[in-house]
Amino acid sequence: MHLSLAGHMGPSAEQVPAERGLLSREPGTGRLSGEAGRGPAPLVGMRYQGRSLTKSFDGATVLSQVDIAFEPGEIHSVVGENGAGKSTLVKIMAGIYQPDSGELTLGEERLGGLSPRSAQHRGIYLVPQEPALMQSLSITENLFVGILRRGRLRFNVDWRSMRREASAYLARVGLDVSPEQKAEELSIAQQQLVECARALVHRCVVIFFDEPTSPLTAKEAGTLFEVMGSLRADGYTLGFISHRLDEVLAISDRVTVLRDGGKVMAALRSEVDKAVLVKGMVGRELTTQERVRPHFDATGRQEMLAVEDLTSQPAFEGVTFSVREGEIVGLAGLVGSGRTEVAETIFGIRSTDRGTVRLAGKPLQHRTPRTCIDAGLVYLPEDRGRHGIFAEVEVERNVTAGVIPHLDRAGPLIKPAAERLMAKQATDRTAVRMASLDTLIKALSGGNQQRAMLSRWLLANPRVAIFDEPTRGVDVGAKDDIYQLVAQLAEEGLACVFISSELSELTITCDRVLVMYEGRVVGELSGTEITDANLGPLIVGAQHK
Amino acid sequence: MSALSPLPVPAAPAEVPPVLAGAGFGTALGLLRRREVQLLAAILGLFALCTALHPQFGVSSNIAFILADSAIIMIVGVGQTIVVLGRGIDLSVSPVLGIAAVSIGFPASASNLNIWLGLLIALLIGFGLGIGNGILVSLVGIPPIIATLATLTIYGGFQFIICGGYSVINIPAVYTNFGSANILPGVPWLIVIGAGVVALAYLFLTRTVTGRSVYAVGNNADAAFRAGIPVRRVLFTTYVISGVLAGLAGFIYLAQIGSATSTSGSDGNTNLMSIAAALIGGTTLLGGRGGPVGTALGAVFLSEALQAMISFRINELWDPAGVGVLILIAVVADRRGSPVRHMLRPPLRPPAKAIP
Repeated sequence: MHLSLAGHMGPSAEQVPAERGLLSREPGTGRLSGEAGRGPAPLVGMRYQGRSLTKSFDGATVLSQVDIAFEPGEIHSVVGENGAGKSTLVKIMAGIYQPDSGELTLGEERLGGLSPRSAQHRGIYLVPQEPALMQSLSITENLFVGILRRGRLRFNVDWRSMRREASAYLARVGLDVSPEQKAEELSIAQQQLVECARALVHRCVVIFFDEPTSPLTAKEAGTLFEVMGSLRADGYTLGFISHRLDEVLAISDRVTVLRDGGKVMAALRSEVDKAVLVKGMVGRELTTQERVRPHFDATGRQEMLAVEDLTSQPAFEGVTFSVREGEIVGLAGLVGSGRTEVAETIFGIRSTDRGTVRLAGKPLQHRTPRTCIDAGLVYLPEDRGRHGIFAEVEVERNVTAGVIPHLDRAGPLIKPAAERLMAKQATDRTAVRMASLDTLIKALSGGNQQRAMLSRWLLANPRVAIFDEPTRGVDVGAKDDIYQLVAQLAEEGLACVFISSELSELTITCDRVLVMYEGRVVGELSGTEITDANLGPLIVGAQHK
Repeated sequence: MSALSPLPVPAAPAEVPPVLAGAGFGTALGLLRRREVQLLAAILGLFALCTALHPQFGVSSNIAFILADSAIIMIVGVGQTIVVLGRGIDLSVSPVLGIAAVSIGFPASASNLNIWLGLLIALLIGFGLGIGNGILVSLVGIPPIIATLATLTIYGGFQFIICGGYSVINIPAVYTNFGSANILPGVPWLIVIGAGVVALAYLFLTRTVTGRSVYAVGNNADAAFRAGIPVRRVLFTTYVISGVLAGLAGFIYLAQIGSATSTSGSDGNTNLMSIAAALIGGTTLLGGRGGPVGTALGAVFLSEALQAMISFRINELWDPAGVGVLILIAVVADRRGSPVRHMLRPPLRPPAKAIP
């Protein structure tokens, strides 16, 4: 393999021993000199620094005078609540946004007018929260997009060598799939690893991960962290954004905390613990590591939801459980274990193969969302953006959307004042923070959107509510509030089903937890048995008979 | 769970998170951002400009002409708007208009069909053909653009068959008088009907159960279904309404033009013009955003702009090109602050030069 060492970029590159200097870029353009994608190779570590970065959207400052430096061979985490500016920060550093002021320095070189493409040419890659692969193309094509290798004829494509190298890169990120497979056949976790491999194929040395773990289960996240760890060992510069502080603490070398667009703390991992980070993020101490309410006493409580032998192939089979008035029953399991599918089947979104659902003793047949809602059963979906909110619609109409047929009317016409009052009461009840009810819901933070969704379902006067990952994409501080809300609703008699991937959530909120594994209920824990230690093995199927 | 008891407000940071400006009703700035207000200003501005250059442009007969001319596109456009709000499109409005016009035109000219009966028949034809579209889209599940492209051709074929090579001429005066009558100087009857349709559509979309659901379905059909909204029924309704309004437009066409042929509707580019009025009025093809008032103003603006071109002696062969330019302007103006802004960003710049 011919290697061009001619075009080093400056002092930083020259300081690196020549045998590591396989990554060479043309001076001035930063363009890779024909070597991109030529197999895994050692690399030049690069320091990537941002100084006084400031950015505002529509007059609202989202990032203000932030200094940050990502060092080679380190995982540097950026944490903060939603709206703290962490996504904006990495998007600036990856060339997606232009900063209003401030400067970016890669190695010794000042970067100006960065675009995603030029950032990638310089070796900076952003692994997005949701993988952005071309779903109908093969993994090989996805990896080499933009730098397809030419064959001997110059106008053909050398698939064979690309496939061979694709396999090597996939192995590098611990993916055991064929490079021939289409991206759409992969799970989200696998697609993220493909994104990671794509960064390597494109010879990127600075890799940012924007909340990569939020769609992943704990196990899948573990795989991703192993890959990140090995990249760190090879001298890559890694930036990591996450809501999950345990992960941050487990893998980071350095942590920067943002709050309201400003940097409030930057420290080595060894200098901080969870409490310090949380305090930095929210500006106050959090209390909930203990149960949000005392344990539930089932005596004399009516059975509100009874699910018997519910089956919807191929997702799950023979699921039986019940929830009493005022009880919070958790549904634990890996993503793909059938938890969400059970909820969707109960709510009439998926077809039922067999089994029954009874609400307060009355069988619910031919279920659709409408009949369930009218009977007093509501379902807060896992994917708020796709299945919950109407992004371009005002908060008020988002909140009343579940009860449109029941709104106060004069003849055929809905009474606007009555509707507004209803929306106001419902949003007050869940303490949605917003400029007004006329604000478009997309302008709210994740936590407030979730509160608005809760308001929507409270308007339906439910007797049973299924909360599917209610804290997904919600800030640490706001999560706490959502636990309190759910607990409060249960106190008032609501029968709750709480689906979550986070064990700590289940241990602090639930009175009983059912564990699902590969479409079956494999265990049930109640009261003080609900601990991370007891749940963990069940979830991964370790005690599956 | 019956009483709404307040839950404890969490001790969250006091400051409200910075929110992007929403729809901004009520504030002066928000009002100026609204498409309807911008369009009204454009209509008045263009009117003032043309009147200053050509004093005849401002006479009441010309105003009446512009308004009457916009009525058909206004009515069809409102139906189109309702379909588009549900994230659909109706490409079959021109033959529905045409079939309604010729179906009442022949009996009217041959046997003096009662005008009210004629109106009823036109509405029923639109209703029936709209049901056809609704079944294809909401029950069979064919993508709207394909379903209505097919019915565009099928219904267009019906129109030819009904005509059988003949054209409708000699419409009774009761029709044509209605088509040219003014309720006040400068205010034709046709625009009163148009305005009535707009008002009803506005009430339908904002104040009725089905109308409200249209926005939800168009914005996020998945979420709408999960919120208990009968998505298919709502979509079906939008196509039926569009059909009925196209039928009504067919009746008006006959009254206004005084004749009808096998190409009535498609010769006036009704499909394109109705979509143009909706787009110019601020309704996005992505669904869920916009409304009939904007469309009505869009229709008036289109009609006014075409009339202005005539008064500036621009050959009417240039009309379609002019409409196209207006669509582009409207869509580009709409891009500001819309979520597709990022997707529609200009192509990537070449790698930037480093600053030495």
